[in-house]
Amino acid sequence: MAIKGGGFSRKSKTSSEVPSSSMADIAFLLLIFFMVSTVFQKDRDRPIEWPEAEATQKIDEKIKNILNIWVERNGDVFINDRPYAMTDIAATIGPLYAASDRALVISIRSDREVRYSTIDLLQQQLVAAGVMRVVFATEMEQRMTRERR
Amino acid sequence: MAVMGNKKSKVSDEVPSSSMADIAFLLLVFFLVTTTFPKDAGLAIVLPEQGEDVAVSQRNILHIVIQPNGIVDVKRGESPQVQQVRPEDVESIWRQDVAANENLIAAVKTHPDAPYRFMVDVLDALHTAGAERISLQILEG
Repeated sequence: MAIKGGGFSRKSKTSSEVPSSSMADIAFLLLIFFMVSTVFQKDRDRPIEWPEAEATQKIDEKIKNILNIWVERNGDVFINDRPYAMTDIAATIGPLYAASDRALVISIRSDREVRYSTIDLLQQQLVAAGVMRVVFATEMEQRMTRERR
Repeated sequence: MAVMGNKKSKVSDEVPSSSMADIAFLLLVFFLVTTTFPKDAGLAIVLPEQGEDVAVSQRNILHIVIQPNGIVDVKRGESPQVQQVRPEDVESIWRQDVAANENLIAAVKTHPDAPYRFMVDVLDALHTAGAERISLQILEG
């Protein structure tokens, strides 16, 4: 009991804690880095008016397995920001579908006023490409908006 | 030279900034949680395989013909009687008819000049009514 504390309790002048004041800065830096480096969608939205449906369901598939086919009001078809002729679609989708191991879901994003004959031709092309799962992209319709019509 | 109004206050005149990061994160998490990508939704259908033709008895077919003006003609099997309804009325018609015949198939035939949205309206009604056997065709002739 001669030496106080056994001589082990010498206090260091340096703090034993990791400095935490810059932690938020580091977190934000990481956040911004991942925000910038993440690629969400390959294609940009095209100017269309969405059809509305009450039974709209979320597509239960990974984003990379969804391919969007846009149909504009005048009947032009776009895939990945590039216009395609209707007759080329089967030949374009076929290899993509095979590469995805038959998991590809086609989302038909068509303007609401497009003539149905265009959609029918598109469906024929998809059948020729062997595609099974197709989604008619719609916007959720509330019952209120329907009653107002 | 005692200047009036130069009295030092003991209260700090700075806004406390230590919790700013917490507030920023709170906002961030809030917007992360509330953001939805609304366009990844729609009405799912399964296309038939090429050359897959199945003969179906007329008795089991509910013919739904969509006209360019949005009027829907409903015809049951072989009966010549045609019922003209609105797209959203297809829901109740399907519910009634499928209760009487559980092998019923909806044959949706759309006029080539009809806008796409009328077909979506009918498909919506069928989906709402729980129909799964739907055939999408184009009206010929």
